[in-house]
Amino acid sequence: MSTLAALLISIPIVPVAALLFEGIDRKIHAKMQRRIGPPILQPIYDFIKLSLKETIIPETAASSRIFRVVPIISASTSMLAAAIILGSLIEEASIGGDLIVVFYLLALSSIMIMIGGSSSGNPYGAISFSRKMTMLIAYEVPILISVLSVAIRCRSLAYYDIISLQRSSGSFLPIFNSLGMFLAGATFLLCIPAAADAVPFDIPEAKTEIVHGALIEYGGPGLALLKLAKSTQNFTLTLLASTVFFYTPSILEENLILKLGTIVACLLPSLLIWLLTITLPRTIFARLKIGQALKFYWSFPLPLSVLSVLLSLIRI
Amino acid sequence: MTGKTGDGEETRRLRFPFGPIHPALKEPVSLRVTVRKEEILDVEVALGHVHRGIEALAENRNLIQTLYLVERICGICSHSHTTCFIQGLEEIGGITPPDRALYLRTLIFELERIHSHLFLLGIMAYEIGFDTLFMYAWYARESILDLFEMITGNRVHHSMNTIGGVRWDLQPHMAEKIEGAMGRLRKSIQQIQQAFQDKTVEKRLSDVGVLVCKEARELGVVGPTARGSGVDMDVRRDHPYAAYNDLKNAFDVIKKREGDAYARTEVRILELYESINIIHQILEELPHGSIRSDENVLRLMRKIPEGEAVSLVEAPRGELLHYVRTNGREGLSRLKVRTPTIPNVQGLRPMLVGCEIADVPVVVASIDPCMACANRITIVNTESDEVRVVDISELRRS
Repeated sequence: MSTLAALLISIPIVPVAALLFEGIDRKIHAKMQRRIGPPILQPIYDFIKLSLKETIIPETAASSRIFRVVPIISASTSMLAAAIILGSLIEEASIGGDLIVVFYLLALSSIMIMIGGSSSGNPYGAISFSRKMTMLIAYEVPILISVLSVAIRCRSLAYYDIISLQRSSGSFLPIFNSLGMFLAGATFLLCIPAAADAVPFDIPEAKTEIVHGALIEYGGPGLALLKLAKSTQNFTLTLLASTVFFYTPSILEENLILKLGTIVACLLPSLLIWLLTITLPRTIFARLKIGQALKFYWSFPLPLSVLSVLLSLIRI
Repeated sequence: MTGKTGDGEETRRLRFPFGPIHPALKEPVSLRVTVRKEEILDVEVALGHVHRGIEALAENRNLIQTLYLVERICGICSHSHTTCFIQGLEEIGGITPPDRALYLRTLIFELERIHSHLFLLGIMAYEIGFDTLFMYAWYARESILDLFEMITGNRVHHSMNTIGGVRWDLQPHMAEKIEGAMGRLRKSIQQIQQAFQDKTVEKRLSDVGVLVCKEARELGVVGPTARGSGVDMDVRRDHPYAAYNDLKNAFDVIKKREGDAYARTEVRILELYESINIIHQILEELPHGSIRSDENVLRLMRKIPEGEAVSLVEAPRGELLHYVRTNGREGLSRLKVRTPTIPNVQGLRPMLVGCEIADVPVVVASIDPCMACANRITIVNTESDEVRVVDISELRRS
């Protein structure tokens, strides 16, 4: 199977899986709050419903073209990032340097949402922009360094090469291979809630403070795409975390005859990571302030990630 | 958006409207907040978005009709309003309700305080993004609403008070149910208290929206807002009404000195325990006898002469004042209501200046504002255009 075919197969799977994960997340969040919660398919219903509505462009928008185009770019970049990961898993091969592309696409997707919000001309969008910028500085640095640490260890920036190298090294779960790997994994997991804009780090869109920030002026198809972009970002990150640090197919190797089995064996742990890093914190914590969040990320995950790089360099 | 400071130094100031419609505000109030980055430089509070003309309506109705109207000033402290109003009428008419009626009034009063405080604790949790605690607090509150329904038949507007007594008696099986519910409630309040002592919650609430004791006295804030700043006041103890004179020993007045949002929240949590104690004592000491005078209510109403009275109660949000002037012909010639939010809203500006944007909803919620209650007056300035309605251009960046 060619790389292109693998990508084309995974592109339709990504939005469905991402929205399904979102639905499960909302259901479990509700159960933990003693609520019934929406049906698991609700995010998909919402997507369809919003897509059929009209687009309203605010009079204050700096440029209606930017306002219109941003959701499309945001959704497509994050979907492409997820498809690259999923495609590599299906094809069991990847192109050198695709990890960098994935992180570039994810950052682009977040930045597009910020630009869309601030181009709307709404003051809440402007505040959201500055808050998201601070958050990006807070979590992007540690998350990139933690991936860098893994890349140094495996001497490769190709996603599937890293996985196959780790498999050939013989241990069950790569995260427990070494201390450096463990620290890198811990950093990555700690950064997921901030990247996902989930409580306690949902500061850029804090509903009760700045009314969903960047999303405030969006409605209809634009909102549908932005929500999809967010779910897909979360999906990509959890899938990355689950395959790089907890590659479960390596445990189940003998029982997996079909390729579909491998994909399911990758998706299920990523759902579990979603529940542990996004759903659980947003149920049990209160929202932090922007200064507190920055302080947290620079005093725990950042030193951890730097330490993991150092350990990778001396191969501990 | 860009402004100049006096020093000639250019700074970027953003003046953004917080309200009148905002998801953090449960009712319309307009806060015009000037910020530099995240820091708040100035706040203007503008009321008047939910003026309903209740005082004017009251002057066109008879006393019984006004009783039901007054109940609708607030959906949370409806019993406080009727009690306050009825006390005024009873003072003018020289009517003394039977003891049992006074105790039942107090019972509903304290149940209402519990439900109002739990309501606010839920809102506080919601404002800091802690939705789970919000759901748990409101889940606990639900049991109080069920008790209201059992006793009076209504969950929100209880219609318990009438001239010279109360309308519904407490059956023995109800007392048992209330006791049981209080036991369960005490447990859930302990859970909620623990959740509020969690570190992330404390980080958001402590040292936020500080109102020092001196300033609190000067501005005349009331209720838990004042007690959170260390002002020792409580109408229940200072000017006992209903059965509070007999229940003096059942409760303490809770005070905190810190004056921040955390202190105001803590005062409310601790007051819940005091309310439960009061309810226990009421159920123990409930006198026997009738619950209202034997005379028909309409006949009683006709007997109320011309006169005036000022009545005070300690509503869940603080001191509530009704000035009642009857016209001697079954109606009112003037009703003046001062709800606790009116003085408390004055405290918002000193609390907010110097805080961050993220603190606005927390601080506003911490005074437990009830805007619909506070909106008594509309000032229409026809000569100058200084006072204006918030229009769409103001909602945009200027």
